[in-house]
Amino acid sequence: MSFRSKIVELSRHVLLLTLIGTAPLWPQATSTLSGAITNTSGVAVANAKVLARNTATGQTMEVQTNAAGVYSVPNLPPGDYQVSVSAEGLSPKASNVTLAGGLPQTLNLSLEAAGPEAPSLKDLGFTPEQSQGSAANQALLDRRSHMLRIHQRLGLITAAPLLATVITSNGAAGRRSTASGRDLHATLGSVTAGLYFTTAYFSIFAPKVPGTPTRGPIKLHKVLAWIHGPGMILTPALGAMAFEQRSNGQKVHGIASAHGVVAATTAIAYGLAIASVSIKF
Amino acid sequence: MKTFGVTILLLGAPWMLADSQWVLEKSTLSYHISHPLHQVDGVSHAARGKGVCHGGQCDFLIAVPVKSFDSGDSNRDLHMLQVTRGGEFPLVTVKLRLAEDAASSPTIHADLEIQFGGQTAHYNQVPFQHVTQGNENKITGTIPATLSDFKIDPPSLLTMPVKNDIPVRVEMTWRPM
Repeated sequence: MSFRSKIVELSRHVLLLTLIGTAPLWPQATSTLSGAITNTSGVAVANAKVLARNTATGQTMEVQTNAAGVYSVPNLPPGDYQVSVSAEGLSPKASNVTLAGGLPQTLNLSLEAAGPEAPSLKDLGFTPEQSQGSAANQALLDRRSHMLRIHQRLGLITAAPLLATVITSNGAAGRRSTASGRDLHATLGSVTAGLYFTTAYFSIFAPKVPGTPTRGPIKLHKVLAWIHGPGMILTPALGAMAFEQRSNGQKVHGIASAHGVVAATTAIAYGLAIASVSIKF
Repeated sequence: MKTFGVTILLLGAPWMLADSQWVLEKSTLSYHISHPLHQVDGVSHAARGKGVCHGGQCDFLIAVPVKSFDSGDSNRDLHMLQVTRGGEFPLVTVKLRLAEDAASSPTIHADLEIQFGGQTAHYNQVPFQHVTQGNENKITGTIPATLSDFKIDPPSLLTMPVKNDIPVRVEMTWRPM
């Protein structure tokens, strides 16, 4: 090989290496996406909008079909595309396609006749107020339930000292009355009253839910509270008077003599109030 | 013969391809809860529903406000509303898709998607009895729902929780719009 031939051969290699090395700087080979849009009967759909969106870059290009239902989207860089087609009176359709550099791609699509959309809550006539709740509404319900749960448990606990108070009334009144019997009865009564008013607090101050009229056994439960509530105030007051009279060696007299009747009425109303929400009438 | 075929196509095709819609005319939905002391049924007549048919398929949507269920005790109903997160998610919705020709079958097996308490549960092939009376289509059946399907803690009364099963009895009357 002559020197000149060597130079020419070397120049070819240098040129080839240069071309390979600078390849990324060349304009990328683009593709043309084309196809036909028809309806389900095979009839060409003219003026359909065809939108090609590069899923990597988000770049879009829109064209329309001609009278023969044919479209062509030129100069698309290689990559993955979502092609969506819409036309008046037909359901829109989308399809994915991958374009390789420089190679043309064909995508034919058939559109179905547009039907009514699946029903929505708006179709059912629900207003946003009816169909959308809120965390605040739920928080109110949660607080109400929480307080009433405490009310319920404390109410059951209160029944125990209440029953014990009733039982020990034998040792606090009548001929067999003793000072220790009265003390025990008064102590149990005080415990009962304390628990009772704590129980009542959690019911009275539980949040009310607007627009919910009271119905069912809970109505009886509330009516009975109007009996045992005042009874729980009167009973200790009358009991204190009776206690003092007996401690002074007197026979219980005057308004204090109503202590037993008021206490019994209160205890019965309380028991019925628990039963009213425990037994299905 | 050709004329006969064209006539059939002209008369039959529009009917076959026509979109139809259904509306829920009246309904009774009732859940059943078992408690050691009580057997409770909560009933609602407040459901609303619509069905849209297209291409041989019908999409139905039924929705009912949670607070519309009446168990006969307002306190219990408010408690149920709370445990089922009805303050935040006030509606129970049921979606189903049926083949349009199911309307001619005496038993319909439906795949239900139910949204309740912010959760979605699917019940497959739930059988419903179907009776057509004139223009009305009566559907009855029971959805085998459970509280755990919707991540609902069983409510309790007197510290005793209710059972997990809350079957929902469905009685609906649909008519074409």
